Amino acid sequence: MSLTAQSAAKAGGTAPSVKTLKNLVRGDRPYVLYAAFAVLIVAFSFASPVFFSSSNFLNIGRQTALVTIIAVGMTFVIIAGEIDLSVASTLALSGMSAALAIQQSGGNWALGAAAGLATGALVGLVNGLLTTLLAIPSFLVTLGMLGIARGIALMLTGTTPVVVNSLTFWDSFGEGAILGVPAPIVITIVVIALGAYVLHFSTFGRRVFATGGNATAARYSGINTRRTKTLAFVITGALAGLAGLILTARAHAARPDIAAGLELDVIAAVILGGTSLFGGRGAILGTVLGSLMIGVLNNGLTLMGVSSQAQLVVKGAIIIAAVAFSRRK
Amino acid sequence: MKHSIRRTVAPLSGDQPSQAPTPPAPAERLVEVSGLRKTYGTVQALRGVEFELAPGEVHALLGENGAGKSTLIKVLAGVESSDAGTLKIFGEEKSFRSPAESRAAGLAVVYQELSQVPSLTVAANIFLGREPRTAFGAVKQSEIMSRTKAFLAEYGFPLDPRAVVGDLPFAYRQMTEIAKALMSNVRVLVLDEPTSALSEGEEEVLFDAVRKVTARGVGVIYVTHRLGEVFKLSQRVTVFRDGLRVGTYPTSDMDMKSLVSAIIGPRTMAAEVADAVQGHGPKQDHVQRATGSVPALAMSGVGDQRLRGVDLEVQSGEIMGLAGVIGSGRTEILETVFGLRRPRQGQLQIHGQPFKPAGPVDAIRAGVGLVPEDRHGQGLVMDDSIERNIALPRLKPLTRLGFFSRKGAAERSHAAMKELSIKAQNRKTVVGTLSGGNQQKVVFGKWREPRCELLLLDEPTVGVDVGAREEIYGVIRQAAASGTAVLVVSSDLSELLLLCQRITIVRDGRTIRTIHRDEVDSEEALHHLVHTSSPVTPGVPS
Repeated sequence: MSLTAQSAAKAGGTAPSVKTLKNLVRGDRPYVLYAAFAVLIVAFSFASPVFFSSSNFLNIGRQTALVTIIAVGMTFVIIAGEIDLSVASTLALSGMSAALAIQQSGGNWALGAAAGLATGALVGLVNGLLTTLLAIPSFLVTLGMLGIARGIALMLTGTTPVVVNSLTFWDSFGEGAILGVPAPIVITIVVIALGAYVLHFSTFGRRVFATGGNATAARYSGINTRRTKTLAFVITGALAGLAGLILTARAHAARPDIAAGLELDVIAAVILGGTSLFGGRGAILGTVLGSLMIGVLNNGLTLMGVSSQAQLVVKGAIIIAAVAFSRRK
Repeated sequence: MKHSIRRTVAPLSGDQPSQAPTPPAPAERLVEVSGLRKTYGTVQALRGVEFELAPGEVHALLGENGAGKSTLIKVLAGVESSDAGTLKIFGEEKSFRSPAESRAAGLAVVYQELSQVPSLTVAANIFLGREPRTAFGAVKQSEIMSRTKAFLAEYGFPLDPRAVVGDLPFAYRQMTEIAKALMSNVRVLVLDEPTSALSEGEEEVLFDAVRKVTARGVGVIYVTHRLGEVFKLSQRVTVFRDGLRVGTYPTSDMDMKSLVSAIIGPRTMAAEVADAVQGHGPKQDHVQRATGSVPALAMSGVGDQRLRGVDLEVQSGEIMGLAGVIGSGRTEILETVFGLRRPRQGQLQIHGQPFKPAGPVDAIRAGVGLVPEDRHGQGLVMDDSIERNIALPRLKPLTRLGFFSRKGAAERSHAAMKELSIKAQNRKTVVGTLSGGNQQKVVFGKWREPRCELLLLDEPTVGVDVGAREEIYGVIRQAAASGTAVLVVSSDLSELLLLCQRITIVRDGRTIRTIHRDEVDSEEALHHLVHTSSPVTPGVPS
């Protein structure tokens, strides 16, 4: 009672202009993450002469694009109080359906792109409906979907990759560039901007925060929490589909066994970015930083010549440390 | 958050005793606090307070939210340490560094938020962490059961030791918590707003239990916002304001008016407040529309699993009360109107139109608002700001092409904060950091704009201090005056008598009868009407 009132007074206020900016990067306490991020960049710059260069930064951007794109969707799902473990399988299934659609239609790349996105959205819809209508925890629903989507992807061709022969498709999602910026990075930036807009400036975004913050209070305020959660899953599924298109375009083929385990990097990026695993708080920009930080770690450690086995250990330890420091008391 | 209350301690109004009663000899004191100070950041929560507790007494501790009661309790419980001053337990100077140390010294605190394992039985909860074991380390289940049974019988607690705590109504969960404290040989029992969620019948059970405990020499510190209880139960009363002790008085020397003025201080005490606490009822009855006009809400023969025939009509501009014990179906009636329950029989009408809400979305669209019973669980997103909470029920009108109008939301919350005098730094303040009264005002703020046709209020002033309570009554009356129909559920019968023109008695899921305010002349009369049937079967999950 009185204690909480006083701690509010203690917290004090900040100028409104700073606050607007802060809304974008709001999370539990992402400042620690910014500091850690800066320290990493400085440290790697000293440790490796190749690290601090525009070509290497583009490299990092390309490497993190997939994780960042899916993590934007995952931010919605986690803020709404749910989780999606099936994204890597969804990515693979979407890539396969895109590649098959292009192959069957004789090189219609737009049809392939639509098929990939639709497949991802459909998987998300199923996840969302099972979670909200049957009230099964999303952890279990998506754990099941992780197997189902991967299994279907493998069964489509009997585990054989599907080659894509469409120059436009390769360029649009993989190898093209605008003003020297590779297509995957351009797509990532667009996704980040749209995601930040929808989460932080739209009515739907408000519903997502309220649903994860207190589902009962949201429901009592007339918010359709089932629809809100389902939509969050659909967004994530569609973005996993988009990531599937990028991976397929880059490799000129879709492989059904691709990206296994990617969901862990995605969830790590979101949580590292200050989004609460319990829902109700988080930010897109935090997620982007979280994803970049994982990318910088991978890249920097490789440049320093650290073995991939040791990299796993270092990465894991840094993720735990960063989250431990940014925890609210 | 700024303190709106002046820090000066002005002399109290004339009809108050100016001297404290003769203090008991030092040896007789269970607790003795002197010069206690505690500062959080720049806020002085305790500015040198005195307090003492004698064996066998019920000592009421009163004050508005932020007065320092909770801080003192936290120091006693070992949750917080004081900055200066002394604390003596049985004449021995102590400084608790942990709740365990406080407990070992014989202090037990029963908080408003209960600390229980809902999936365990009453007996298992009472013995949690100190289960009797056999030589092989197995828990002696039968001993736990029999000892709990004997203990509950001895104190007259109507609880079934085998009942699963999570299935019990809140009142009985609280009873379990008190029983748990009593079982560990406490000498000082601190009850923090124990009755805030209890109905009248259950209150008496609690009071009986407290009297039995004090008869054995245990001292009870009793924190409450319900002043009526002070007179029923306590021998002495201490009032805190702004981190200082206003005074300690024998309860017999005080009356309602002097108590209220001690609590709220030299702030202008509206005549209405004085009248209100004296139980004079509504100052002016709002003109009720002529009979025969279409009621804002009409329910006829409404029934489901819990409700067995609800008939009532609420007119626009009228405040109608629903009185009944916990479990009588009061809350279920509100939930039905708000679309949270689907009736199996009967009809609902809003302004004469048939109304079948499939969920809160439909109800809100029809102009119905709900201030739910559980502010934390149902009313607010505690981690979100005032603005975000206030904007929540009507997001659509604030949206243009999917773009959320921050300006519109800011204006809406700004107006609500001003009109409801919500005391907070600004609209971005997180509601979880506000006091109970201010949180409740935020819940009311959610339904302020646009005006509701029908406002449903479930225990609108639970955990709200005296000053804020009056302000909330003002908000309710104002809503009614502007044409909103109000249906209010309250366990506090004096509150219903104060607010309502008509009161409907609910019992066993049925509306028994509707009475006019004029037909009952006292709280006792209403109490009698509510309780003429056998009390709810306690302890047994339905």
